[in-house]
Amino acid sequence: MLLQLQHINKTYPGVNALKDVSLTIAGGEVHALCGENGAGKSTLMNILSGNQQPTSGEILLNNKSVKITNPLRATALGIAIVHQEKSLSESLSIAENIYAGRQPVNKWGLINYSLLYQKTTGLLERLGLQYLSPRTILKQISSAEQQMVEVAKALSLNPRILILDEPTAAITEKETEILFHIISQLKKDDVAIVYISHRMREIFSISDKVSVLKDGNHQGTRLTAETNTNDLIKMMVGREIPQLPVNKSRQATTALKVQSLCGDGFHGISFSIHKGEVVGLSGLVGAGRSEIAKAIFGAAPVHSGDIFIHDKKVNIQSTGKAIKLGIGYIAEERKTEGTFPDMNVGDNIVAANMKAAKTKNLFSNEMVSSIAEKFIKKLNIATPNVKRQVRFLSGGNQQKVVIAKWLLADTEILIADEPTRGVDVGSRFEIYQLLKKEAEKGKAILLISSELPELLLLSDTIHVIRNGKLVETFNRENATEEKIMLAAAAE
Amino acid sequence: MKPNYHTVLTQRLQDRTFTLSLTITGIVILFSIIYPTLFPTFDNFRQVLLNLSVETIVAVGMMLLMISGSFDLSVGSVVAFSGGLCAWLMYFHHVNVCAAVLIALLACLFIGLINGYFVAYIGINPLIQTLAMMGIVRGLALMVSGAGIQALPYWFNAIGQSRLFGIQMPVWYMIITVILFTFLFTKTVFFRRYYYIGSNEKAAMLSGIAVKKMKLYGFMIASLLAGVAGILLSSRLGAAMSTSGEGLELRVITAVILGGASLNGGTGKITGALLGAVFMGLVSNIMTIARISGYWQQIILGIILIAAICVDLLLKKERIAKLKVE
Repeated sequence: MLLQLQHINKTYPGVNALKDVSLTIAGGEVHALCGENGAGKSTLMNILSGNQQPTSGEILLNNKSVKITNPLRATALGIAIVHQEKSLSESLSIAENIYAGRQPVNKWGLINYSLLYQKTTGLLERLGLQYLSPRTILKQISSAEQQMVEVAKALSLNPRILILDEPTAAITEKETEILFHIISQLKKDDVAIVYISHRMREIFSISDKVSVLKDGNHQGTRLTAETNTNDLIKMMVGREIPQLPVNKSRQATTALKVQSLCGDGFHGISFSIHKGEVVGLSGLVGAGRSEIAKAIFGAAPVHSGDIFIHDKKVNIQSTGKAIKLGIGYIAEERKTEGTFPDMNVGDNIVAANMKAAKTKNLFSNEMVSSIAEKFIKKLNIATPNVKRQVRFLSGGNQQKVVIAKWLLADTEILIADEPTRGVDVGSRFEIYQLLKKEAEKGKAILLISSELPELLLLSDTIHVIRNGKLVETFNRENATEEKIMLAAAAE
Repeated sequence: MKPNYHTVLTQRLQDRTFTLSLTITGIVILFSIIYPTLFPTFDNFRQVLLNLSVETIVAVGMMLLMISGSFDLSVGSVVAFSGGLCAWLMYFHHVNVCAAVLIALLACLFIGLINGYFVAYIGINPLIQTLAMMGIVRGLALMVSGAGIQALPYWFNAIGQSRLFGIQMPVWYMIITVILFTFLFTKTVFFRRYYYIGSNEKAAMLSGIAVKKMKLYGFMIASLLAGVAGILLSSRLGAAMSTSGEGLELRVITAVILGGASLNGGTGKITGALLGAVFMGLVSNIMTIARISGYWQQIILGIILIAAICVDLLLKKERIAKLKVE
């Protein structure tokens, strides 16, 4: 057996992060690992990659006991990990990022750039990124491409065991396909792959076995062919997830209308959203969806075209103005755009509407707390108290805090940009229900998502954006994943 | 989860204004016992407060900027320039006291406006912008006050030399400044925004906060406060000198960091600026009483600063390790 984890325990003062976890992974096997946020997946992977040491238990590699004392040791043992969070230097080139610290050298001990670029070009071709030069500085490429560079870095190590931690969270279906293709190639080379994901569809299309973790316990391992989504979700959360009924809240009045809108990265965009309607924007990452959202929200320039709110033409030059006009924006990147990680839950919730926390014209912390208490209850946010810094919450709860911020701002139009990215299954459905409830209250919602099932579940209308243009529109009845994908990815 | 005694204590220990108050109280008690005749006297405390009043007023402005995630190195030069410009107007051009003070303060606001504009709207790093401004304004201060201007009008000197309840006016101005800004930072939406900007600028922008405008105002306020401090200083001394305020920016930044601000922004309280300055003032006062040389004062302050930050990091690490696994 290639990799065996035996009775792994990890305890922190007062908490058991992993309890007696045993897993076996064979070469050429894709082993999916799932569980809600905080279930212990990341701890387990940190132990495998040498970032943390188990409190007790044994790791066997080729039936020999090994100690993975640090990340370098993990690399030497042939274990490579693609982290969920980017670990690249934005100001260095793609090649230097991939071969960071182990650039090929010539006989004088100096970096051999031609070999470096040649090796990188090979990797980029393998990842379908042949159009990128290895000299490109990382910050000039999209976040999906950066994620693929992260994969390239792991591949460059020629690992025997490859750990992928939520690799598709930041990439589109097109890149996902390439990634899956690579995974199947690696399988043939007898590489073991540990695939951590929240996405059931991916787990079922790629994995051979699935293991479920819950609260640090190993709930069980199944052959993928012999299980199904509901089973896995039941193992993960201990309950079944309800289906959502069809929206019936679309009203006759138009809340938002954009006409021939042009800006950085998009042009000629026209669509409208009625009150109580959920309009989905689909497309590949980098197609211009977030740019459109930001332009409507006053966070990016509009070059030409018009925006109407309730049939009145408006000119939105700033985010402050947008909020005054009744537009809210749940940002795409929770960590860098959505939350104030070092501030507490209460301060985060009032961020977009601090005036709500005023009593007798003065800002009041008591008022912040009472507002926050209300939303913690209403949105079922798991936090010990309102004073907890947001960065200590799980991804799903952080996202709920961001949503609470916009519910407090109470804008008539709400743009939700990837509202469930990196969010566990349980919270995900709670977020769907919240958005739906807001639509039922008469809000107009613009939903941007890379996850087609999500768009299909919530939207009344779906517009597909490709290369900055609105190329096709579907309504709920005639939309299917295949049709949308075809429109989004057509060349 | 119930807050137990230990977590409450660690949380309080995270609050710099709490630990610093505790330390200051400890120092005062300890040295009152060691130097019972020299240290705990009204005269000595009055002198300590007077010495740190100018620094504290500048520190309040610096705290504002550091909460918002930037800082201003030009404040020391602004202190010299505002006093110098004021004196120059009064001495050479016979401008009356009120008008001279007003013009000097407007000039300081303008310096802040330039700093803020280039940092917020053009995107120059605050270190570079305010470092350049530090040189420019020092040059301007030299131009207006040359080798120094003395014999300033009576009413001008009265601003800084008169007393209320036996305590000199700069101390009162300092107290008013601290109270005013503490109030503004806890009770007004406008100033609360600086915490958001310092914590995550992009998220602040996407929450509807006019980040650029707020930054511009921040630099203007910091510069204005430095201007006020400069006028108080030259009024108190009865003279304007082009060298005053040299090295002040670093002392003020030290005080503000001791008082709980971070270079990353988002944290700090206005009272922390006062406490940091008080702490530094007390340390140098005690060392003077103990006849320790001025060189040692700098060395010891440096060590204290590093030690304070280390304790902070250790407490934070323990807390993070505990919270991460919850």
